[in-house]
Amino acid sequence: MRCATAILAIGLLAATPAGAETHYLIVGGLGGEPRYAESFAQQALSLAQSAQRTLNGDERVTLLRGEEATRDAVTGALERLAATVAEDDTIAIFLIGHGSFDGEQYKLNLPGPDLDGDTLAELFAALPARQQVIVNMTSASGAVLDAWAADGRTLITATKSGGERNATRFAEQWALALASEEADANRNGAITVQEAYDFATRKVADSFEGAGLLATEHSEVAGESALGFNIALLSARIATTEQLRNLIEQLEVLEGQIDTLRGRRDEMDNDVYLEELQGLLLELALVQREIDEARADE
Amino acid sequence: MNSTQRFRWLAASVVISCWAVPAAALHFEYSNDRPDELKACDTLEYRGQRFDADDCYAALRVSGSDPRIRAEAAWSLGDLRAANTQFQQAIELYPEDPRLRARWGELFVTTHQDNEAVKLFQEALEIDPDYAPAKLGLASVSAGRFEDQARAWVDEALENDPTQLRAHLLLARMSLETGDLDDAEASLDRALRLAESEDLPPLEIYALKASADLLRGVTDSVWTTRALDMNPSYGDIYAIPAHFYVITRRYREAIELLLEAVRIQPDLWAAHAELGVNLLRVNRIAEAMAHLETAYRGDPFSAKIVNTLRLIDSLDNFRDIVRMPGMDEAIAGAGMILRLHRDESDVLEPYVTDLVNDSIRTFSQRYGFELAEPVVVELYPEHDDFAVRTSGLPGIGLLGVTFGYLVAMDSPSGRTDNDFHWGTTLWHEMAHVFTLEATNHLVPRWFSEGVSVYEEWTTGPLPGRHIPMHVLRAAAEDKFLGIADLDSGFIRPSYDGQVMVSYMQAGLTCQFIERRWGQSAFVAMLEQYTQGADTPEAIEQALGLSADEFDRGFEAFIEAELGTVLDGLDDWRTQVERGFQAADNGDWAAALEAASAAVTSVPEYVADGNAYLLKAKAHDELEEPDQAMATLESYWSLGGHDAGALKTLARRLDERGRRADAIDVLDDLLGVVPLDSDLHIELGDWLMTEERATEALREYQAVLALNPHDQAGAHYRLATAYRQLEDAAKMREHLLYALEIAPHYREAQQLLLEIAR
Repeated sequence: MRCATAILAIGLLAATPAGAETHYLIVGGLGGEPRYAESFAQQALSLAQSAQRTLNGDERVTLLRGEEATRDAVTGALERLAATVAEDDTIAIFLIGHGSFDGEQYKLNLPGPDLDGDTLAELFAALPARQQVIVNMTSASGAVLDAWAADGRTLITATKSGGERNATRFAEQWALALASEEADANRNGAITVQEAYDFATRKVADSFEGAGLLATEHSEVAGESALGFNIALLSARIATTEQLRNLIEQLEVLEGQIDTLRGRRDEMDNDVYLEELQGLLLELALVQREIDEARADE
Repeated sequence: MNSTQRFRWLAASVVISCWAVPAAALHFEYSNDRPDELKACDTLEYRGQRFDADDCYAALRVSGSDPRIRAEAAWSLGDLRAANTQFQQAIELYPEDPRLRARWGELFVTTHQDNEAVKLFQEALEIDPDYAPAKLGLASVSAGRFEDQARAWVDEALENDPTQLRAHLLLARMSLETGDLDDAEASLDRALRLAESEDLPPLEIYALKASADLLRGVTDSVWTTRALDMNPSYGDIYAIPAHFYVITRRYREAIELLLEAVRIQPDLWAAHAELGVNLLRVNRIAEAMAHLETAYRGDPFSAKIVNTLRLIDSLDNFRDIVRMPGMDEAIAGAGMILRLHRDESDVLEPYVTDLVNDSIRTFSQRYGFELAEPVVVELYPEHDDFAVRTSGLPGIGLLGVTFGYLVAMDSPSGRTDNDFHWGTTLWHEMAHVFTLEATNHLVPRWFSEGVSVYEEWTTGPLPGRHIPMHVLRAAAEDKFLGIADLDSGFIRPSYDGQVMVSYMQAGLTCQFIERRWGQSAFVAMLEQYTQGADTPEAIEQALGLSADEFDRGFEAFIEAELGTVLDGLDDWRTQVERGFQAADNGDWAAALEAASAAVTSVPEYVADGNAYLLKAKAHDELEEPDQAMATLESYWSLGGHDAGALKTLARRLDERGRRADAIDVLDDLLGVVPLDSDLHIELGDWLMTEERATEALREYQAVLALNPHDQAGAHYRLATAYRQLEDAAKMREHLLYALEIAPHYREAQQLLLEIAR
């Protein structure tokens, strides 16, 4: 029986407390040349679509790109977020485009006046969400690594310093990661920040190596608190029936037990570990099979 | 390399410009206008009366009124910084003195700053266009780089002044390097007469005389005795002949001489450096390190020393994989030591092991020679590290080098080009191991290269004969050398690309020998070389004809074998240009017509810019997929190995139900891109469907070794291969590893449920 009122998105935004929400802000900055303008806008759109898919809606996804991504618009969006998000919420901010660094100040290039790194740092600091993921994918983004680091925040930059000034390839791969099964290393239908970072970093390196070029960008990550956060869902884990809800709850219990066991691995004899792991995995496989069969019957 | 080590040698680079530490080799000035007061000190120095000589120079350094003399005195005392300062001051006082600039240039040569030296020699020639020592300085720099220009400078100097002793010495050196011993002796005799008549130092002449004797097989030269009688600590009497052993690839003998050189002259830094470099070539790493460190302390100016020390430091990042027959019955010969970078050793090891093993089996049988030691195979991910290995060797290949039982080459990851076939390069080098060791390194360069190239073409991993287009053009322009002179094409090339032309000519020569006399003639030739024969003698004895007759026979062979191709080269070029032009214009019918004509003109050419890939593309554009695939198949069967083309061919063969052929293509592709994890996955998956699980397992192990993003998938694939091999324990292990990473991995869950049932 379908139960329209019991549609629940369970578990997969795992590190988020019950009732907490996730908010996305995606900024596609000034392209300068048509080819960059087009690719920045496309990457921003792709990320917004991933966010919407993840949230099963778009009310908490803010997309600013092209001419609309002005300093005032970005500032306004961050101020609105500061006013609306709760402490338990999570904020994910993706910055795409060109950045610059003059040795002292980082700037995000936007139509009209640019937005400097200090101002952005203040705006981020005003966000009450305790869990924050900020991904600055612009050139020279490494310049903000120290200035933007904060407790509870995982900061990713496309470059290791402000000296890496070439247009970056990271954003393209990050956008791909949030929509790609290939990035889903543990095949659970969700992409963590860590998985996306690993995928994008590897793809960027491969792209330079494949072209026989020295890499002009080296991504960095600062702050590990949100690395396990599911930044995108490839398919929502949704319970449409009571039976499915029960099964998904069983699944989550087993996942927790497997995580706990994995955490004890170093203390255990390998054979014992594998034996216990096999038992839990078997149970999980059986529950998963029931879920799949229940879904097939819907 | 750890950061401390890196810092150490980086710091060394900085010191290079500081002129800080003395260099101790004797530096002879042969010009007649060397000041008498310096000559008096020189005489003491040349006779090994070091302390007296130092006192003599020290007095001049303090009391000499002329900064030119003070500079020379400081130089002879080993204070290069002071010498440099004095030369700078002297230039202010004597700006129009060409001798001063030439001498200052020589000081720069001493400190390995050749570019600065060349500028000074050129400045000297601007002051006096006929100034012979400046020309000889330029000749010396060119000769050190094995450039043909050296001879022109010497000839020019001698034209103006045939009494230039140094010119005759340079000529002798160059003749010795190309094996022209009679010419060398003649030059040395002239030099000796000049030295006697002009009362110039003869020690260097003696050393070159001893070198000539050495190359004739006389190891206890009378000239060595004569030099030591004059100066018992003249280390170059051994170090100079050692150079000729090195360039003729007799590293073990060179090491013995160099050890003797540093024994009698412990501060002969250049000999320590050469010793270090050559000990490394025979895998005596710790000893190499010790001598290089000694050399570095005495001569921090040498990039060669610093780079080699850095290379040794970097060996910490490599893993030695020892495979001995006693440990594994499948291992042939005396076994092998693979020195592979830790980042890629797991993935490359099985492929390199198989290829080295196959080559040892093949060549042992073909050449009737059993290797006495394990072969060390080094694969460098950094091309610069490989380049350090070849430093100071003339005409060495760009891809690999063999020092006897040690092979060094670029790793597949060391090159970004899409057509570097590492397997063929390794096969080529392994053939060198046999030709070098079977003859105790007496095989001449051309024959060793010729056999290696020939084996590439006939028994190597790539089918077919591969001759670059510029070599075919050289053949068409009659640029091939006579057999007796072929070595000079490697050692002292006279035009761009001649080294490669010489490689290919050597390969074709061996093909000619094999066709006419059979493969056993190679063995007979090697036997001749082992006995000390030169090339004309070896040909006479092994093949029964003179070198001239051989050349005529080879010419006829080339005409028969390549005549049509050579006649068609112009047509090929015209058609290829027309084809690419048509393709640019989107006229694919015209492109196809031109590409087809080019293929007909030179059917065996599958290297860069070949017409096959254009033809295949044109067929595709004209919606003729079967013809496109047939074209790619022809390309592949001739040894074409562009990675993109072979991937396309494999997939098309598979789509047409020819999976076994597709597997063969991908297998060949591993010779080009062994670090491509997608390729290993595809090949492994196809092998599994063909129930070839053992081979699939190797591919899946390679995938895991490449540390893929999809670790779970890699373990799952290994589990499936072990399942097909009925190894339940391994299957379970990898299945659980897969699910440990990805508990929701559906296929793995399914397999777990099946085995638990």
